[in-house]
Amino acid sequence: MVILFRIDDRLIHAQVVIGWGMKLRPDRIILADDQVSAEDWEKELYTSAAEPDFKATVLTLADAVDQINGGVFDSEKIFLLVRGPAEALEMLEMGLETKEINVGGLHFREGRDKITENVWVDDKETGLLRDIVKKGITLEARALPGDERITINSKVV
Amino acid sequence: MTDKDITGIVVTHGQLGEELLRTVRLIVGDVHDCYALSGSDLGDEKTIESIREILDAKKVKNAVVFVDYFGGSCGASCVRATRGLAGVKIISGVNLPILLDFVTKQGMMGFDEIVDHLIKRGQESVKIVDI
Repeated sequence: MVILFRIDDRLIHAQVVIGWGMKLRPDRIILADDQVSAEDWEKELYTSAAEPDFKATVLTLADAVDQINGGVFDSEKIFLLVRGPAEALEMLEMGLETKEINVGGLHFREGRDKITENVWVDDKETGLLRDIVKKGITLEARALPGDERITINSKVV
Repeated sequence: MTDKDITGIVVTHGQLGEELLRTVRLIVGDVHDCYALSGSDLGDEKTIESIREILDAKKVKNAVVFVDYFGGSCGASCVRATRGLAGVKIISGVNLPILLDFVTKQGMMGFDEIVDHLIKRGQESVKIVDI
């Protein structure tokens, strides 16, 4: 069961493992990412960032959707993580179901405009988030569980 | 107040303690009952006074004083401030993993247990990263 679906371009890092992990106590963090999945050393880099506190698994987007929808993780509380709106939308279009996505971190880079302190998006990403909103999904922006919960749906449509 | 109510005081040279706590807040959000003092800015007497003020003002029963370097002036001030006080332990060689574990485990462990845990956490976090 997915208890949090988060977009964070820093992938598995301290805010994820400690800030959210210690609060939610997931059984497993799943990083769904085709790029990281392609390299064994990158997989080890990110899974070792979660251990020893949490089990961590890196899967391709397709494998993550197949395994989650196939019930592989039904007995576990899953913290699902992707790097950006494109990956989140791709998973939704492959059949992943969710009511809400936590937009935790899309950080500043050239060409991105600010939505919140931790969420910056370019035109393409705004369009992708709009497509996600059109599916009836709430986008809430919080870096940490104790931060103010800001719904950003109206800022991308 | 139980022995799980534990105050943290980070005493360092320069602004290291304040920056460590700022980084902890960046990762976990607000923290409570954890303070930073710059021993090198305050000097020996004022550092001792400030540590005692924190302990007295909050009627602290259990506290961990984290110091950056055993053998430096900050460490000596911490010893002078807390020597003989039951329920206060000094941990030297403070690092980010130690403080992260302290603030996320406050209230979950008894005093002796958390002190042992933090020492282990700090020691285990220093390792060769071989990926």
